[in-house]
Amino acid sequence: MDRHVFRPRIAVGGVPIHAMLVPFPIVCFTGALLTDLAYAASAEVQWTNFSQWLLLFGTLFAGLAALFGLIDLFSVPSERRPAIGLWHMGLNLVLFVVAFINNLVHARDGWTSVVPTGLTLSIITVLLLIVSGHLGHRLAYRHVVRDRTDDPARTPEEDRP
Amino acid sequence: MKRLTALLATAAPLLALAACSRSAEPPTQFGFNPKLPAPKQFLLPPMGIANPVGWDRTGAGAAPTVPPGFMVQAFAKGLNSPRNVLALPNGDLIVASSGGPNMEPNLRPKSFIFQWLMNTSHGGERGAAAGENTLILLRDTNHDGVADQTVVLAKDLPSPFGLAWANGTLYVGMTDSVWRYPYAPGQTALGPGSLVTDLPGGPIDHHWTKSITLSPDGSKLYAGVGSNSNIVENGLEAEHGRAMIWEVDPATGAKREFATGLRNPNGLTFYPGTQTLYAVVNERDELGNNLVPDYLTSVRPGAFYGWPWSWYGRNVDVRVHPQRPDMVAKAVIPDYSLSTHVAPLSIAFLKGGTFPAHYQGGAFIGEHGSWDRNVLNGYQVAFVPFVNGRPTGTPETFLGGFTTGKGRDVHGRPVGLAFGPDGALYVADDAGNTVWRVSWTGKGGT
Repeated sequence: MDRHVFRPRIAVGGVPIHAMLVPFPIVCFTGALLTDLAYAASAEVQWTNFSQWLLLFGTLFAGLAALFGLIDLFSVPSERRPAIGLWHMGLNLVLFVVAFINNLVHARDGWTSVVPTGLTLSIITVLLLIVSGHLGHRLAYRHVVRDRTDDPARTPEEDRP
Repeated sequence: MKRLTALLATAAPLLALAACSRSAEPPTQFGFNPKLPAPKQFLLPPMGIANPVGWDRTGAGAAPTVPPGFMVQAFAKGLNSPRNVLALPNGDLIVASSGGPNMEPNLRPKSFIFQWLMNTSHGGERGAAAGENTLILLRDTNHDGVADQTVVLAKDLPSPFGLAWANGTLYVGMTDSVWRYPYAPGQTALGPGSLVTDLPGGPIDHHWTKSITLSPDGSKLYAGVGSNSNIVENGLEAEHGRAMIWEVDPATGAKREFATGLRNPNGLTFYPGTQTLYAVVNERDELGNNLVPDYLTSVRPGAFYGWPWSWYGRNVDVRVHPQRPDMVAKAVIPDYSLSTHVAPLSIAFLKGGTFPAHYQGGAFIGEHGSWDRNVLNGYQVAFVPFVNGRPTGTPETFLGGFTTGKGRDVHGRPVGLAFGPDGALYVADDAGNTVWRVSWTGKGGT
């Protein structure tokens, strides 16, 4: 068996649930950075309110995505578990903690709900997203997609869920 | 990168703070020059939400405590969130039994959580909010210190709170207006009223109690209007006409700003025999257990007291943006700190009557009690001695025993105060659903 074989355990129609959920935190946290910037530039209260909802839903969906990601990652035997998956997990754990703290910072009243700590945490969250998202994609393309095309022992039927 | 290090440097102590700020030092912040610690910003602000259990949980007849020589009686029990009391010259009481207007929209995740937490700390809040906003007449016909007649004078009013009476006219401060009703003491029915003036009410209506009083000659009416937020988190445009005391001509309804920058002014009362208006003010939250002290102050016409840009004079609040150094420079320092988060909502000055000399000329303050503090503060009727017409020394607990000592269970929460013509002090206890009567027995004590 190829040491690269890594297939997500929980999938619908061949698409991992984890992969379906990750766009939510990506969009929410990126959106929160944009609304934070808008608040910092305008001091219009509604922008920090937007940030707070985006952060809340981003954090909730990040937790949900993490749950399925962890199941996928730890349901394969450890010798076949790609190191890149563990890096992806570790970074996202940090991201989750930062985002959680950012929710509490944004719950403050007025200007300091965003400037400077909230905005800084939003920037860090998005930077972490870029790195961990990159690792996640490498995991998916190198270890899942390639395995499916390169493994001569497998028939097309086996690739169906 | 500099940003990152700066952030980590701030985040670490913040986390530590949130974790270990359980014990708050006892407040020593009374009087003219309170010690003001440095402001803090929290991940979780200090909180201690009272849990009202009523007075009968520990056996019928439980009551607040009084100094030696005084007697306390339940003048009326089983009311629905009595907030304020007005004593009439014939000894009758008018009670405003009210709940907040509940029109604050949940614009952020935090407001859902806060709404839920705060609803637990007001005994009758939900019942009253359901529409029972009444004025009730309480009469003690046999003078035994317990009301034996209860008449509903008016109901379904828009969150009535402020009460004043003079020359055959009853004034009621609703949350969005002041109304006048022809009323002679003794009447057991209230005819139709008429609008005196509008006040800022909804939308939002965060601080909804409108305290009112009349000038000594009855020619002017004063109305306190609290802010629409803790610290302008609903935007400055939501604060038009708020955080100030209005001076109203009761004849025409014309009004002008009398004093501004008062975050939530209540207990508007003239010092007896003078033209000096006093108020108690609820200051801002979420800066720490021991910031910012609530205060009692004489209100200087035209003065600005800092909110939102600064507190206690020129202590700048960084949560307000843009900052206004020009306004901070104008901010007046209030007279007398009552210590932090006690939530004072009423003043009754004593001049004459039956209480001993120790209390003459002093102020009784109804302290509804804290939430933004790990250790409960307030939950009492405090007495502030006055010397030469100025508050002096430290406050004494006059009516205590509202806290049970068991966790955050409280029997009740005092709000409005009034001295009756019989010399007794009447206390509205909203969470305890009771009006208390405190009288001097003439035996022992002071």
